[in-house]
Amino acid sequence: MNYSSPPLPSGLPDRVAEGTQILVLVVERDPHVRALEAHFLKQAGFEVAFSADGREARAQARERLPEILITEVLVPKLDGLALCRQIKQDERTSHISVLVFSILAASSRATEAGADAFLMKPLAEHRLISTVNSLIARRQTSKG
Amino acid sequence: MSSTEASIEGSAGQLPLARLVTGNSDLDAILFGGFPAHSINILMGEPGSGKTILAERLMFANATEDDRPILFFTTLSEPVDKVVRYLQQFRFYDETKLGTVIQYSSIGQQLADEGVGALIEILRDAIVDLRPKIIVIDSFKAIHDLSTSVPEMRRMLYEVAGLLTAYETTAFLVGEYSSDQISIYPEFAVADSMVELARNKLGSRDERFLRVLKLRGSDYLEGQHGFKITDDGLLVFPRLVSPLHPPAYDLMKERVPTGVTGLDKLLNGGLLRGRSTFLIGQTGSGKTTLAMQFVMEGIRVDDPCLYVSFEENPTQLDLQLEAYGLDGREAHARGLHFFYVSPVELQIDSIVATIYRTVKQSNIKRIVMDAVGDLLMTTGDASRLHSYLYALAQHFAVEAVTSIFTYETVGPNIFTETRMSALADNIILLSIQFEGRRAQRTLRVVKARGIAHDLNEHDLTITGRGVEVG
Repeated sequence: MNYSSPPLPSGLPDRVAEGTQILVLVVERDPHVRALEAHFLKQAGFEVAFSADGREARAQARERLPEILITEVLVPKLDGLALCRQIKQDERTSHISVLVFSILAASSRATEAGADAFLMKPLAEHRLISTVNSLIARRQTSKG
Repeated sequence: MSSTEASIEGSAGQLPLARLVTGNSDLDAILFGGFPAHSINILMGEPGSGKTILAERLMFANATEDDRPILFFTTLSEPVDKVVRYLQQFRFYDETKLGTVIQYSSIGQQLADEGVGALIEILRDAIVDLRPKIIVIDSFKAIHDLSTSVPEMRRMLYEVAGLLTAYETTAFLVGEYSSDQISIYPEFAVADSMVELARNKLGSRDERFLRVLKLRGSDYLEGQHGFKITDDGLLVFPRLVSPLHPPAYDLMKERVPTGVTGLDKLLNGGLLRGRSTFLIGQTGSGKTTLAMQFVMEGIRVDDPCLYVSFEENPTQLDLQLEAYGLDGREAHARGLHFFYVSPVELQIDSIVATIYRTVKQSNIKRIVMDAVGDLLMTTGDASRLHSYLYALAQHFAVEAVTSIFTYETVGPNIFTETRMSALADNIILLSIQFEGRRAQRTLRVVKARGIAHDLNEHDLTITGRGVEVG
């Protein structure tokens, strides 16, 4: 096939250019979504780590302190919204930007849980990458 | 509003069901806007039923150069070269899209060599490399023939369904499935929509029908919808259903003169606006002449008119008009529309759709359908015709269109097709009796809803000025 799709959103943060990859922690149980998220996030220059359930994700977030956490609502042991609340209430992790990425139309509940952004499935790489980029840009702006 | 809220609220716009248009506005109307985007859809029907054409029309309708590509995978039913060769015959074909936005490729050999499980990798690679907006697999059913076991096929399908659901793409699985295979093949369980194309042999010709069997998350127009295959894809005729709202009361009180003074007297001033009249009688009893007079009166009072004929072609009808002193071209200029369909080409779906469209577009106020019996003879499904005529009559009432349906009887029976009488607000019986070498025509108003009418039989004569009722 000789046709290529339009390029992914550009304008990644300076840290990527400097060689320090930004860590994105993805909490997702669907293997297909995980595989595609991994592919597109890595292609966009991010380092990607995975958790299969909410509790493991909470532990990983405390330990690795990712800049972005992307979570489905429907994940085992600790659901994505509860995870989001706990991440935002814990002073060690409250700075992490949380993107709720779900099959559920849970925009309002994500807001209430303190999420920084919400996206609905299915996965559209342009929307995902541009949302992650905008969250990072916002973090950089707020840091001054 | 904070930037956080903006991010979240901005995403809420995704909630309404996104649609993928088909390239055919009538099919989109049946689907209430198109196929659901980001879904798995099955297009099914026997070979030659139009499935691939439907898929290709949809592909070209959605192909935009600044967007993601559209992939068409052939499996084992037809080689890519053959599919592309015939594709070029259609008007919707756009050579600038082929090989750029729209990609055809064959995966049959890879599936044959590596097994049906290879489809998962093929699709995954296509998604991460090309990020397709639409994926068509034709024929998906043929993949079953390569499977060595049912569990293998089910495993593959489970994975494929998961992959296609995870990514923002719309998939079409095209296959020569029959209705009785819906409960057998597992792809039907994962499909979000199913559209069946069928072809029924009727006499010396075929009638094609399209039917939506399933459309998750959306309403749709149920039942069989007629269609034709044209050089621009499928020409679909949505099944006509009754209008949602009844006719306005005021309209139904207005009188519409028939153009026959004697008849108007029997009807206490004429027909009621928006009502349907069956003009029934033997051959030669004067039905067509009276119906034409009704239309000529319409032209005289500037009512746009539609004359639908299954027997007399436009030239014959123009000659008849001229016989009664009305120039055909002048009549057309003043709002007379002819719709002639040859009896050998009759398909009720297309006829009804054309009539309905003409009535709406040309603001028709009087219509004649000459004759209903011709329609009956050409359809294998009288109840379908009955439903269509009922719906048409209801739409005519809502649109304030006064209608006359002619119906030829044989012998003394008023209605051989008794269900037809229920369609009529009015029934006018024309008769011709022979006594020796003399013939006598008569007219009787058998039924006239809402009109205090004369029930007696009256003499009817046809002169150089048309029908006269004594």
